[in-house]
Amino acid sequence: MVPTRMASNPPFRRVLIANRGEIAVRIARGLRELGIESVAVHSDSDARCAHVMQADHAVPLHGNTAAETYLDVAKILAAAKRSGASAIHPGYGFLSENSTFARAVIDAGFVFIGPRPEAMDRLGGKKAAREEALAASVPVIPGTEQDHGDASMIEVARKIGMPVMLKASAGGGGRGMRLVERPQDLAEALVAARREAKASFGDDRMILERAVFPARHIEIQILGDKHGHVVSLHERECSVQRRHQKVLEEAPSAVVSEALRLKMGAAATALAQRVGYDNAGTVEFLLDEQGNFYFLEVNTRLQVEHPVTELVTGLDLVHLQVHVAAGGRLEQMLAGKDLRPRGHAIEARICAESPENGYLPASGLLRLVKEPEGPGIRVDSGVYTGAEVPPWYDSMLSKIIVWAPDRAMACARLSQALSSTAYLGVPTNVDFLRRVVDDAAFRGARLRTDMLRLRPELAAGPQQGPEALALAAAVLCQAVEPARVANGGGRNGGPGAAVVRSDSVWRELEGFRLFEARR
Amino acid sequence: MKISREYVCDGKPVAVSAEWIEADRWRVRVGDQTFEYHAQALGDGGVWLAPVGQEFDRSFVAYGAPAGKEYMVRVNGRTHTLASPSVRRGRGAPGADGTIRAPMSGTVLDVHCKTGDTVTADQTLVVLSAMKMEHKLTAGLEGVVQSVAARKGGTVDQGAVLVVVEPTKNHE
Repeated sequence: MVPTRMASNPPFRRVLIANRGEIAVRIARGLRELGIESVAVHSDSDARCAHVMQADHAVPLHGNTAAETYLDVAKILAAAKRSGASAIHPGYGFLSENSTFARAVIDAGFVFIGPRPEAMDRLGGKKAAREEALAASVPVIPGTEQDHGDASMIEVARKIGMPVMLKASAGGGGRGMRLVERPQDLAEALVAARREAKASFGDDRMILERAVFPARHIEIQILGDKHGHVVSLHERECSVQRRHQKVLEEAPSAVVSEALRLKMGAAATALAQRVGYDNAGTVEFLLDEQGNFYFLEVNTRLQVEHPVTELVTGLDLVHLQVHVAAGGRLEQMLAGKDLRPRGHAIEARICAESPENGYLPASGLLRLVKEPEGPGIRVDSGVYTGAEVPPWYDSMLSKIIVWAPDRAMACARLSQALSSTAYLGVPTNVDFLRRVVDDAAFRGARLRTDMLRLRPELAAGPQQGPEALALAAAVLCQAVEPARVANGGGRNGGPGAAVVRSDSVWRELEGFRLFEARR
Repeated sequence: MKISREYVCDGKPVAVSAEWIEADRWRVRVGDQTFEYHAQALGDGGVWLAPVGQEFDRSFVAYGAPAGKEYMVRVNGRTHTLASPSVRRGRGAPGADGTIRAPMSGTVLDVHCKTGDTVTADQTLVVLSAMKMEHKLTAGLEGVVQSVAARKGGTVDQGAVLVVVEPTKNHE
């Protein structure tokens, strides 16, 4: 792995993290492990966000909306200058896939911890990436990346047949994507999709592709250095999605054989090498029931779901991103490492939303946060008890990631972890995630990208009202906690007593040693 | 010490109370049922619960916290959001009374109606952008638009009245 002296001689002294929430916390931790100071930036409403507390330094970006804070290139660069940082990590979302930002970072004299802007241009947009994939002989879905206006798009849709998928040409991830099933809905869908794309990416051009169903979402994690090397760190399966936002992600995929893994890895690295890709990236594919895979898009950044790859490969992708950005060689960093996936990892995204109520997102005060713990459980969190969830940004609060020797045990572990998790004060998807993890289709790895759409009962949840136990628990939670505080910790035997038991037994056992014999 | 609450269950109000007996024992009444529970605060916000006499067979760790005017409790792997009968769910659920409210704070992207318009139940009246997503707010019932408070480009708080629709009389 990375030589240990790297920690005492870090590649950068100080790095600014142009992001918020859990990913900014995770990057700050990774930087600290490398002996690098972190600089957080934050909007007004994020002044007490977990990522600000985790970082060594913090610079306010005045304002609240994403546009006036985390998307404001001038403000981010000014913060970097003011903080004395020499490099910028963009995280995911916000400016992470914006090559204009990457260029501005480099032109201002900072290192951009991400791929070269030229590689981002060629692979980042869905349109450009589709053209590169075609040129690299990577199979693509029937459709078009040439947007000549609504009329021509509707004509293409008529030729390839419904249903079709509309995607923002400049987009990454699920933003600006929509499924259109009926031809008569296409015109309205184009208007809405273009508006979302314009708002999110400043570009309203569209790609139209046939919607492949049933399909699984399989993506390949790639990592390149500045010396022409690109490695595949294998697949993740992210088939459990709703509205193109991933819900559960795992590695490896239950249906990807070693031969298919090599084939998809080779396609992904060929595409990356073609454009001189450096740093971390993800090449996404759809896999149909016959085992054919089709190129979807490239995410030219660290992914939300990167932890599952870390858990099965034993690598730290943030550390590797930093070293690669500083000019490190993958052949040295990965020398002698067995990169084959070991065991099974699954990630659940905890979001402030109500799947039982049409996935309505929510904001507000988190009154109680209890995150799970135990062997094989990792929590990448951006919140705490008392944290405010602002209405301005993505609704993801944290990620619960489990590792186990095999998939069945990983499912059991995730179910157990979710059952001992509580985020209270705003609605969350915790109960929904557990329903999906405990569902027979998920346990049996019978996954497809439209499974949540086809099975609305998973989102709806049980229809019966609360049992007597729940009502008893509600009233007891309210009775015990204030009583405990009112009675000075409950040592006097009043209501809520016995949080701290008497220690008198230890006083009586004079000379007792727990772990050694008394001489 | 005793605390009493009333929560709506399956549309009906249910009286719930907890009365301290001694040590960690409480008498709990749920409607006309009476239970005895051990209840111990765990310090992480959780409360360990066990029905007296069944400590070794049935015990739970519950987490509870207020959520706005409601109370959220998570126990036995399920989260319940309990409302008092006095708190009517004015959450803009369409179809209730013709008042279209913002389901959450956000920006009004578009207003597709004006006062006097006749609208159908599934007609989109307002498009709201919140948490980076577009939300189409539909009329929920047939009727005539009485007033439009939403303005394109304006920001609105959760629960704000956006449009009021007078239901068509012969709708039933």
